[in-house]
Amino acid sequence: MSDMSIGVTGLMILVGLLVLRVPVAFAMFAVGFGGVAVLRNWDAATSLLASESFTLASSSELVVIPLFILMGNVASATGMSRRLYDAAYALIGRVRGGLASATIIGCGGFAALSGSSVASALTMGKVSLSEMERFDYDPRLAAGSVAAGGTLGILIPPSTGFVIYAILAQESIGRLFLAGVLPGILLLTMFIVTITLMCWVRPGLAPTGPRTTLKGKVHSLLGALPITSVIVLTIGGIYGGLFSPVEAAAVGAALVILFGFVSGNLDIAGLWQASKDSVVTTATVMLILIAAHMMNPFLALSHIPQALGAFLSGLALPSLAVLALILLCYLVLGCFLEGFTMLVLSMPIFFPVILALGIDPIWFGVLVVLTLEMGLISPPVGINVFIVKSVAPNVRLGEIFVGVLPFWVAMLLTLALLFAFPSISLILPNTMIGGG
Amino acid sequence: MLARLDQWAARLTSLAALIGTLGLIAQVIVILADVIGRYFHAPLRGAQDISTMAMVIVVFGGMALCERLDGHLSVDLFEPHMPRWLRYASDVLAALLGAAIFFGIAWTVLESAALSRMLNLSTNIIRLPKAWFQYALAGFALVTAFGLSMRAAFLLFKGHSGRTGEVAK
Repeated sequence: MSDMSIGVTGLMILVGLLVLRVPVAFAMFAVGFGGVAVLRNWDAATSLLASESFTLASSSELVVIPLFILMGNVASATGMSRRLYDAAYALIGRVRGGLASATIIGCGGFAALSGSSVASALTMGKVSLSEMERFDYDPRLAAGSVAAGGTLGILIPPSTGFVIYAILAQESIGRLFLAGVLPGILLLTMFIVTITLMCWVRPGLAPTGPRTTLKGKVHSLLGALPITSVIVLTIGGIYGGLFSPVEAAAVGAALVILFGFVSGNLDIAGLWQASKDSVVTTATVMLILIAAHMMNPFLALSHIPQALGAFLSGLALPSLAVLALILLCYLVLGCFLEGFTMLVLSMPIFFPVILALGIDPIWFGVLVVLTLEMGLISPPVGINVFIVKSVAPNVRLGEIFVGVLPFWVAMLLTLALLFAFPSISLILPNTMIGGG
Repeated sequence: MLARLDQWAARLTSLAALIGTLGLIAQVIVILADVIGRYFHAPLRGAQDISTMAMVIVVFGGMALCERLDGHLSVDLFEPHMPRWLRYASDVLAALLGAAIFFGIAWTVLESAALSRMLNLSTNIIRLPKAWFQYALAGFALVTAFGLSMRAAFLLFKGHSGRTGEVAK
């Protein structure tokens, strides 16, 4: 049996285990370990198991993961999302569709704290859906804006998606965070334009909101000041060279905790629960990362990525066409696989091809993370849609999927723009840090 | 007998999660002290050593609780179309496979720890012995393997996973 046939057999076993609902990490561990044992020997597989488990669990770069997760969990527990929403509401709630746009802005702000799409959709959904219902918003627009707004969590830095990509691709987390800023703002703007257009075409979707007095506006904006300060200090600190991403995450987490205690919205029990939740989430993420590092040597030994690269080169397509094909694969896979799972499963196969074609890995990272975001709201397994359903039980699932459709189109347009103009992603990392 | 063993698994899981949570809080404090100290020209010596080794505690300390809360990601797209016996069989397979993986991690990391001790391997700045943290990792992996074995045993002998989403206090 050739190395390639063993590789293909391994991938088929992996798919079989995934279909059987075996946890993704367990399936990758089993196939990676077994594959290396067959293609090399038992000793190579056991030594890989020991070294990858300890090396990744003690990686200095990955310390950022539990800290940003902690920051998001504490921010959620202390009601920071409410304050962000209130500030956006005070500014633009009066405009037709303004509450939905305020939700998007609130999600964008919360994304800059948490790095998690699910956390963004869940916390902002709890805050904004009841308000939109109270002002007679169309439930599809309301639910769609929360589900789509939540996806900003993995594009706007700090983003867990970028951290995972950075580790898998061995790229700089700081450069990827910088690369996500302008695309994140662009996508947020596209979402607001989508809401405005929808309300312009069908004014019945969203009535105008109540007027907020100047005093009310000032009060809401002041309420959001501590959160805005945390965002500016942590993210600005990374870009300004004050902190490394790890330090920024620790400073941000500490500030959010301090704010929670000072405002009386957090007690020791709440902090303990948020910390414990963060440890569990970290374990989930890290086990998959370790498992992915077990799979990589197996795939490399089986020569599958090289064969795929040779096949794509043989098609004699321009490199941008190959990139478009790969993104198309991600869009299709995103309909069926959870984003993070899709990333760790596909990167060992696609990434060597991207490097061989001379495509900028930072740009590719932004494009891939955006396609992962689209998967979060794509039927049938769009997780953000289910999150919104959990906080809006009265809205039918089908209605939420219809509600997110215009936002999905906006994301596709954004993807096209980022594809056509790589500088939107690359200008900040290249000017502030320098060429990769 | 099985219930008593599972109770022990739950207690050990809670202990591991407690240590992991303390590790996370320690990470925040150590890095913060380092950042603040740096601006007073007195950075905390070995902050990176402590935070990276604490990461081992955080990651593997939470592993058993993650398993107990069904926190590991899986693809449940085909679940509604699977007959009951296949769902049951795949649950048993996942638990046994997971137990084998964590026993494997514990065993190989223990061997690696013995090597680290022999070679006196330590962190770069304050010379924390790596073997300590490898032993901790192996211990947490054993707790997780124990929990997964209990899950498999419950499924095989009682027909359910024995999980209620609660862990021992």
